[in-house]
Amino acid sequence: MKKLIVILLLAVTGYFLVDSFMDLGRTGPVVETGVKDFYLDKTVSELKVANTITSIVVNFRGFDTLGEVTVLFLAATALGGILYKRRHHVGERSVLFPSSPIVRAGSKLLFPAIVLLGVYVFIHGHLSPGGGFQGGTIIATGFLLMLLAYDNFSVSHNVLSFIESFAGIFFVLFGFAGMWAGGTFLENFLPVGTMNNLFSGGIIPIVYILVGFKVAAELTGLIYTVLHEKES
Amino acid sequence: MVGSPVLLIAIPLLAAFMIPLLGMIWKELVRIIPGLVLAFMMISSASMLMYVTNNGTIIQTLAGWEAPWGINLVFSPLTAFLATLMTFMGFIVWLYSYRFKRNVDFEPAKKYFIFLMMLVAGAVGIVITGDIFNQFVFIEITGISAYALTAFYTGRNSAEASFKYLLMGALSSSALLIAIAIIYSQLGTLNMADIASKIHLMPAGYKVTALIFFMMGIGIEAEIFPLNGWAPDAYTEAPGPIGAAFAGIVVKAGVYAMVRMVFTLFDVSGAMDILLTIGLITLIVAETAAIRQEKLKRMLAYSSIGQMGLVFVAFGIGTLEGVYAALFLMLNHAIIKPLLFLSGSQLVFNSKEKLIKEVNGLGKYMPFTAVLFALGSFAIVGLPPFAGFWSKLSVLTAAANEGMLLIIALILIVSVIEIVYYFRVVNRIYFFDKAEDLIPQKPRVNAVIAMSVLGAIILIIGFNPDVVSTVLHNASADLMDTPQYIKNVLSAGQSLTN
Repeated sequence: MKKLIVILLLAVTGYFLVDSFMDLGRTGPVVETGVKDFYLDKTVSELKVANTITSIVVNFRGFDTLGEVTVLFLAATALGGILYKRRHHVGERSVLFPSSPIVRAGSKLLFPAIVLLGVYVFIHGHLSPGGGFQGGTIIATGFLLMLLAYDNFSVSHNVLSFIESFAGIFFVLFGFAGMWAGGTFLENFLPVGTMNNLFSGGIIPIVYILVGFKVAAELTGLIYTVLHEKES
Repeated sequence: MVGSPVLLIAIPLLAAFMIPLLGMIWKELVRIIPGLVLAFMMISSASMLMYVTNNGTIIQTLAGWEAPWGINLVFSPLTAFLATLMTFMGFIVWLYSYRFKRNVDFEPAKKYFIFLMMLVAGAVGIVITGDIFNQFVFIEITGISAYALTAFYTGRNSAEASFKYLLMGALSSSALLIAIAIIYSQLGTLNMADIASKIHLMPAGYKVTALIFFMMGIGIEAEIFPLNGWAPDAYTEAPGPIGAAFAGIVVKAGVYAMVRMVFTLFDVSGAMDILLTIGLITLIVAETAAIRQEKLKRMLAYSSIGQMGLVFVAFGIGTLEGVYAALFLMLNHAIIKPLLFLSGSQLVFNSKEKLIKEVNGLGKYMPFTAVLFALGSFAIVGLPPFAGFWSKLSVLTAAANEGMLLIIALILIVSVIEIVYYFRVVNRIYFFDKAEDLIPQKPRVNAVIAMSVLGAIILIIGFNPDVVSTVLHNASADLMDTPQYIKNVLSAGQSLTN
């Protein structure tokens, strides 16, 4: 009986959801002049940033990004606290079994390239697709590869926590600097330069580099925690 | 005026990033810094509440872009009242748990204080933001802190409770995102005031779907009936002060978000009736469940859900009086329920199962804690002359003025149930004999201060309810006045462009 009611309710909600989403893109919005035109216009004319998504994420809605970075920070901190139990021994029934020589040799070759790609992606966040979150994730995959290839590969938790904290602190401090220089939190206070130059866009590339470092450090920390569960 | 609205968010974030570093310098700092931050937030929001009462709403734009384009923070009489209440409760909870795990464990204590601070900051963010996507981000921050705090005692039960909460929270996030996507696809904006001014253009079907998904998403934080499965487990398994923080802070933020949607954002007729019906069902189901509970914290959790139901009933009445009564109830519940959680967790501190029958006869051995628990019980069931009486009375008069006699009858019947299960506990505390092997826990000084402050507030509001009536009147008028809200937010932007 209980299950029947649940299924019925889900079916009704599902019907309305499908009904709304079926023609969501087709009919067009009822309000034509949304905020999007303003974003497209100001990204080019005032911020001189080639990647509109970056300018929305870091400048127009930078406060959200600060919040999301905090969400990631809290999630990483929480996971470290919850995963504490058994240590998986190297050998059977473990994630840390010794890998083949091919993986070992290959990962050593690939690791610098992956990190370089990640750094490139977040440094060019305001010019090309990508940005801090994506670049940081790419760097973390490099560390994941190393951790899988070498079971004695270790990253220092203190170093990761330093990077995490400093990136977060500087993000907030840049926000305060904007408040001090321009009047509102996270406001751009540096010269924007010429569009498509590496050094352009005011604080946008700086903030995205900070986000890149933070995401890389946090995801690496997460992977490390998951692979090396502490003994209680 | 001390500080500005954005500092209520930025300072705790800065502190959260700094605490891991500061902890390496001196371990005591991980306890002191959150306290200082919470104290700053409390003082700042109280002084801004005073400023707002005299000079009107503060609108703060962020990143240099005015209202519909950038994110803005709205510090109106309503949000100022709630922010002050939450930061005050956050400070009290910090004070109570200052010596938590002291000299025992550094790492868990560090996490506990970071999460506690972020819980308060996230809840304040939910209340003061003027942008629905920003609100979603703060709901995430609050949610993740809450899951982590629920799983704090790393054991089987708390892991289960936390996982349950996490699943429901993830579901609520997706529901919220769907609702936000529907609104953005139609209106092309995320700003609350902008949405409120354009919502009449949106086709009715989209509007109802979006509202339902919003209610689903926020209802989980606000503990409304079919979505509150996480609450009893989470309250029971989380550390005592965290139960107090959930009841005093997180749930209030959820209720605010829900009410803001219904009163300001959506002009769906009948939404009030939905609130009223959901509230009544929540009230009746939770209170009848509470009477069957054997664990003290579980009983308090169900009672907390029931009180939220009553708050929704009062909001659902839909009149200015009803809103006033609902805000008064929220204020009282935010003070009384944490007192019950704090003193209750002292009462069952040394018992293993945390059962109600294990508080037998503790009145003689822990006189102070027992008196405060009894005071809280009397206040929450609405006995005069304590704080809860006035809020319940104002709900009943608001309902009576609208001629909702059946609702009055239901509220009164449920109050009798409430009296039964609270007085059962008080009866056990004072008139039963103590079990031999139970060692009474002597409360620490900071816990005594935290609890007596709450007790004193209950008595002050109880004997002189006028101290809060101005603030509550301003806040309820603010919630009802949607055109003024839209004008405040959007005209602040226009004055900047000109």
